[in-house]
Amino acid sequence: MLRFFIVFVVILVALFAAELTQPVQQAVVIPWTEALVHICVALITLVDANVMVFGKILQSTTNGFAISIEAGCNGIEAAIILIAAMLAYPAPWKHRAIGILAGLTAVQALNIVRVISLFYIGQWSPKAFEWAHLYVWQALIMLDVLIVWMIWIRMLPRSAAPPVSSPPPSADRGAQQAAA
Amino acid sequence: MTATEGRSLKQFVLRTFLWLPPCFAAWYFSASPHAAVAGRLARMMVNLFTPGVVSELERSGVNLVFVTTLKVYPAPGQAALLLPEVNPLLYTYGLAMFLALMLAERAKIWKVLLGAAVLLPFQSLGIAFDVLAQVGIRLGPEVAAQAGLSGTELTVIALGYQLGILIFPTLLPIVFWAVSGRLFNEIVMNSPGRITESGP
Repeated sequence: MLRFFIVFVVILVALFAAELTQPVQQAVVIPWTEALVHICVALITLVDANVMVFGKILQSTTNGFAISIEAGCNGIEAAIILIAAMLAYPAPWKHRAIGILAGLTAVQALNIVRVISLFYIGQWSPKAFEWAHLYVWQALIMLDVLIVWMIWIRMLPRSAAPPVSSPPPSADRGAQQAAA
Repeated sequence: MTATEGRSLKQFVLRTFLWLPPCFAAWYFSASPHAAVAGRLARMMVNLFTPGVVSELERSGVNLVFVTTLKVYPAPGQAALLLPEVNPLLYTYGLAMFLALMLAERAKIWKVLLGAAVLLPFQSLGIAFDVLAQVGIRLGPEVAAQAGLSGTELTVIALGYQLGILIFPTLLPIVFWAVSGRLFNEIVMNSPGRITESGP
């Protein structure tokens, strides 16, 4: 477990530092953020035509309320944490790749729900927007990452994990493994 | 994933979401004393990084106001002390998440209290990096130079600020829950593809 945490932190800090660099910002962060805005607008216009987009800003044409998708709002930090957790956990590369793809889809899908909900919450109440934006949705996105990661681990094949540490197995767990 | 394993995970997730609203309420209503303690620690941390820069810690509502010895010049002939202000709630809301996770797995109260105490210095670190980011980066090179911040220190501040605001508040509660909680071991470490305990 200690090795998992150390590898997790190393990958996390490396990916996070990489995210802050200009090349990664230009190649990944900014294009994804703009794509996210367009996905949100496309979904919103299915039911509400009173919305327009400028770069990373989403604006209501009814009341002028606008939100700007900034760092921390584009789901990239949550994605980095999920990728680091899946890479740090001992599993075959094929399962890691599937887990990362499915996990990122789940996290970004929830983030789209988050952005759209914030767009409407903000039009309804600035105070509720502040709460939802700064605290509640942040927690929900991270819980989503945790849940996706735990489900992925539970779905790994029984013989998937290579050994990473060496305390002796307990009698109960040895019996469970034998029964499996 | 067996049906029993799936059910235990599902029940845990459901309980966590049920605990979240009361835990957010508890966190919000205890925010003032919580912020006071976190702010004092943050003041010490800022002064460790840039000795003597923060002279006092004041409050403006729930916000923390760090009175510094740094001077700014809002107009010609006018000088004022720099007072960076920080919303501590941005750094402490992870406590609500941590409480929800621990209560969802019915953890022992001492573990909940210990975890909350261990989270505190990290919350203070986030607040400290917010102050340092204001002083070292957002207010320009003149203020940074007064505080003696440059080069590598500014890079550390930029990374620390991003980690402090984007990663620490939500990730650390999960890490501490994982380390101190029984359910993480049951759900994750005993999983089919677990971090195995057999020797290499």
